Amino acid sequence: MVSPAHAQELDWEAALIERARGGDTRAFERLYRSHIGRVYGLCLRLTREVAMAEDCAQETFINAWKALKRFETRSSLGTWLHRIAVNVVLAKRRGIAAAVQWVPQEDCDEDGRVVFDTPIEVREIEAAVSQLPEGARDALVLCGLYGYTASEAATMLGLAEGTCKAQLHRARLLLRQRLDREGLSHVG
Amino acid sequence: MSAEQEPRVRSVGELPQHVAPARDLWPGIEARLHETSAEEAKPTSRPVRWGLPVAVGSLAAALVLGVWIGRGFAPGPAGPTLSAHPMAAGLELLDATYLPDAQYRQQRDALLASLDSRLAGLPPETQQKVKADLATIHDSMRDIQSALGRAPGDALLGELLINLYHDEMRVLTSVHDTRAARAET
Repeated sequence: MVSPAHAQELDWEAALIERARGGDTRAFERLYRSHIGRVYGLCLRLTREVAMAEDCAQETFINAWKALKRFETRSSLGTWLHRIAVNVVLAKRRGIAAAVQWVPQEDCDEDGRVVFDTPIEVREIEAAVSQLPEGARDALVLCGLYGYTASEAATMLGLAEGTCKAQLHRARLLLRQRLDREGLSHVG
Repeated sequence: MSAEQEPRVRSVGELPQHVAPARDLWPGIEARLHETSAEEAKPTSRPVRWGLPVAVGSLAAALVLGVWIGRGFAPGPAGPTLSAHPMAAGLELLDATYLPDAQYRQQRDALLASLDSRLAGLPPETQQKVKADLATIHDSMRDIQSALGRAPGDALLGELLINLYHDEMRVLTSVHDTRAARAET
């Protein structure tokens, strides 16, 4: 259930979207200010490079501005921006001819939660996540960190749901190996 | 900061979703938005779909007809307006905008007014050819006028429409000249 405060926030956001659709860049700037953290956070984790993450975040908002008339206000602007951001990151990767990693499609049930048996420093786990291979990292960031379901993440990434789950499974295995090796924690 | 003071998490889901970029990205975005708006404000060259190829085809046909027939046009008296001719129905709206030359319009109206009588004196296959050419030109005009209704500032569409008026004039002139030449022989 949506709390009254959240509902008010959504109303306010819808009003800003409406104004931005009419060409009001001040309204769009307000939307940018409230969403840039989540968009940049996603871009940074997917690209691992500050300069590229900044480019991708900027491109995301520019693309959003161009497509704002097609955005349906009943869906979440944050999720929509994330979809655009993932598209932008994937397009950049294709542009730099990133190596395609083959991942076997497995039928596994991954819920995206990656839990440690002991608390780990944020910077340690960020470093461990950033060292995961591309496909596994994408799935883990979207599902484990941003809470998307495997199905939603698969749609964003243009993958079959099973492939996305397999990537998530692989991410957990690799994360576990790394953290165990460094004696930091055990991934559950 | 000591290691004990570093924030710790028990799951990947506890990592902060928001990460502030080191610099403000908005000025770069804003500049691009203004570029985008400026580009959108420019008159766009919309594809005219079938109008353009059809117009080019009709132009070629009219030129061939014109060369075959020869010249010697003399405008007749002012008659009904172009839109009064059944073949040109619905084409009156933009005439004044795209054909500001009153003399040109008068000549065109006169040629259209005498079109049926002049056509009647020509062989059936020539009549058919002329009617087909004019129908093609008028259809193209309607398409372009309709597109201009949606994008009144589109310079390319305006130019295409003027070209079509010229094509139409060539056909009308050719009919007039042919009829005159046949009358002399």
